[in-house]
Amino acid sequence: MKNSLRNLSVIFCFLTLVSCSSDDDFSYEVVLYDNPEVDLNIPEGFPEINSYAYNNISTKYGVELGKKLFNDKQLSADNTIACASCHMQENAFADHNAIGIGIEGRVGLRNAPPIQNMIFMQAYNWDGNKLELEEQPLVPIITYEEMDSSIVEVIEKIENDEEYVELFIKAFNGEGVTAEGIYNSIAQYEYTLISANSKYDKVKRKEGETFTESEALGYSVFQEKCMSCHNTELFTDQSYRNIGFPVNPSTEEGGRSRVTGELEDYLKFRVPSLRNIEYTAPYGSFGQFASLKEVLDYLSNGVLEADNLDSILKENNNKIPLTEVEKENLIAFMKTLSDEEFIN
Amino acid sequence: MKTIKNYFLLAIASLTIISCSDDDTPVANNVTLEFNNTFKGTPIVLGEEASTTATVNTSAMGQDHYFSELKYVISNIRLIKEDGTEIPYNVNNLDNGATVVNQSKEETLSYVLSEIPTDNYNQIKFGLGVKTDLNTLDEVSFPEFYASAGANDTEMHWEWGTGYRFTKIEGFYGADDSELSFHSGSTIEGEEGNYTQGVDAYRDIILDLPESANVGNSAPTIKIEADFDALLSGHTNTIELGEDNATPSVHSAANMELFVDNLGGNGSDDVTGMFSIISVEN
Repeated sequence: MKNSLRNLSVIFCFLTLVSCSSDDDFSYEVVLYDNPEVDLNIPEGFPEINSYAYNNISTKYGVELGKKLFNDKQLSADNTIACASCHMQENAFADHNAIGIGIEGRVGLRNAPPIQNMIFMQAYNWDGNKLELEEQPLVPIITYEEMDSSIVEVIEKIENDEEYVELFIKAFNGEGVTAEGIYNSIAQYEYTLISANSKYDKVKRKEGETFTESEALGYSVFQEKCMSCHNTELFTDQSYRNIGFPVNPSTEEGGRSRVTGELEDYLKFRVPSLRNIEYTAPYGSFGQFASLKEVLDYLSNGVLEADNLDSILKENNNKIPLTEVEKENLIAFMKTLSDEEFIN
Repeated sequence: MKTIKNYFLLAIASLTIISCSDDDTPVANNVTLEFNNTFKGTPIVLGEEASTTATVNTSAMGQDHYFSELKYVISNIRLIKEDGTEIPYNVNNLDNGATVVNQSKEETLSYVLSEIPTDNYNQIKFGLGVKTDLNTLDEVSFPEFYASAGANDTEMHWEWGTGYRFTKIEGFYGADDSELSFHSGSTIEGEEGNYTQGVDAYRDIILDLPESANVGNSAPTIKIEADFDALLSGHTNTIELGEDNATPSVHSAANMELFVDNLGGNGSDDVTGMFSIISVEN
């Protein structure tokens, strides 16, 4: 009796298998994929991970797929622009242009932000309009000034590519090419882009490196005059502030207010991270400043007045006064935040 | 034998049920929504800058204005029976239940609701805009609405917000034809009931019908007026246009809500906004 029951269950399994594959060209449902999680090596002392990232854990094939999509120009309408075209690794995944440039040379609204340490950020973009990294990839794909495509157009381009099909299957347990798979895999790849191996980190971790005199002096100036906004190991407190920078002439620009609907958020932008700042010129929400020196000169000379100008500036006559030597030292310190491993 | 008898009875019974509805009255029919876009009752004629044929309106603050472009999204349509039962019309399917009303395209000014169950209806509800859970630019699920809203001459995608534009008005105001440009859309984030940031620009409109729409032998037309005088001179806000609120940079901030409350109501003491029923034709 026991034996025949077992036989019965074998037959049952067999039937299930047959029926699975009979209504589908593939029978992936019954295959188990070995797709291990990626060890992200979360550095010590960094801010908390964005809670949405726990819903989309980076896996071996998810990351591989995301990286392939990130570098694929087929995501744009005319196959000329990939994510990586404006987010170049040698620039800490930012670019050289003041404002992002899309297909056919179309100019966007803002400076392409570096893609680094995204897993520790609670909001994305200059105005923090996206709280989930998975919701971001669609924006450049459909925006006229960027890739000007659509998600269905992208799916149609890649769904017959065997390499892609195999990666989607391995990454998402047998699921084929889907919009969610595109968004999730790109986010999974971006979650792995963690920069925490700069000279600053090595000094801090006492790995044998030491600051030069200029860097050390710069660090003191930084702690005194910059750290109230550029704090935590990300060198941003992730707050939104109006610091009186020259105003983007586009009527589309409202800064944080176009997200919150609050007038007090008008032309506020998120404090940018200073990590890899050496590689991400030009600076400012629309690339107003060609160099770090220009940024420091501007802050030192005085910024634009505004009702909602940050209180730290208001209390200091709308400026952060810096001597020429202090500026030099600050720049030397900021360059210790460069992570050569990250950009190579 | 008993079983056969039961089947027989069942067959008779089902025949009876079928024959019940088998008289002259159909079980369902169409309802047409006709959108009449006006300034205080005068049909709007669009016009480019310095147009001599465009319909000019004067706001409560005395500002002349006219439009060159006028579009809005209607979705989440529900008809309410006399007994209070709500009949939702493809409320979770934008392809079959949402439309862009575009003043420059005659065919978009009427929207036909098909297969509305035979009954008498005395109220209509619809959304100005797209409710948050569907407002994701999901081309895979709703390719038709995505395409029609995103067409080059329609431009109702709000890409950076990964949602739809709910209203798009372009036009001119004042003595020197200054630019007027108003776009609305939601930036709300998080789950319903637990929003974390952003503005909800969707508005639920509730309109009582002056006489019942009798669906059955007749296929009624409900004539709806959208009086765009409300944009600047609404129930909730009286707005004077100037450098800081006539174009997107600031109206996308706090000012957007002022316009949205005028057009779509503030959701508390105004649930009609600019909309009213002209008539029901049975």
